[in-house]
Amino acid sequence: MSSRRPRSRASGGASRISDEQISDLVAKLQALLPEARLRSSDRVPSARVLQETCSYIRSLHREVDDLSDRLSELLSTSDVSTAQAAIIRSLLM
Amino acid sequence: MAFKQELLKNLILSLRARTADACRFSAMSLQERKRAVKASADVAMATARGGGARWPKAILAAAGTTSSNQSCKVRSSRCRRVVRRCFREKRRGGSAAALAGSAAASSVDVARRLVRKRTMALRKVIPGADAVMDEASLLREAMDYVVHLRAQVDVLRRVSEAVQRSSLLRDSVWPQSALRGKEDSSSMRQ
Repeated sequence: MSSRRPRSRASGGASRISDEQISDLVAKLQALLPEARLRSSDRVPSARVLQETCSYIRSLHREVDDLSDRLSELLSTSDVSTAQAAIIRSLLM
Repeated sequence: MAFKQELLKNLILSLRARTADACRFSAMSLQERKRAVKASADVAMATARGGGARWPKAILAAAGTTSSNQSCKVRSSRCRRVVRRCFREKRRGGSAAALAGSAAASSVDVARRLVRKRTMALRKVIPGADAVMDEASLLREAMDYVVHLRAQVDVLRRVSEAVQRSSLLRDSVWPQSALRGKEDSSSMRQ
């Protein structure tokens, strides 16, 4: 069900990007997505993988925003230098 | 993971620099503070990644820390040409479909159009990917970006938890020994 892309669409550079190369990359990308979004055992069409990647990236952006917000609130009452030892200890242990 | 440690180091340095002047930091509005922390996190991630992908340069360029104005101009003019070409193709495709009438679009065409649509959407969420990039490079860029974004989320979460823990330690009335016992039992390495 994956789309067949005509060879002539390969842009830039002399190297021709094969269909197999593209679908191999799509499969690798699919493997990165969390299980909840795509059943990795099934063969999923490329468009679906691209769509799920897009929404996954957007949700990661939201997480970063929320965590940054939380961290900025914490830093207004605490300060980084006193927390530094605790942070490094907990992260490198 | 070496990348996470590098990210953490950059993040701590950046946050220390921003919060060193405690008066100025607390004088910032809530929105300014949030933006500052988010910017620190993004710059820390981009700097830790280095030159192996396109998105770190795009982040750093947006943050105003690179001076590659020349390459930006060239890239943006190429972008305009690509966008113009895309619009031309779309218009041509639309009128052809209207003329065809009874001729149904083949499933291959529909699939191809959908992939193109999704590809364009993907370019919008990855920094620097809206420049002329072939499909394969875009997919590799997406993989790279996802992996490092996940690491950024993980580091930010741990940093927040650690800052929160240290302020609890500081403000609590429990004896230090009891708290240390609690810390050891909770799993830190996930």
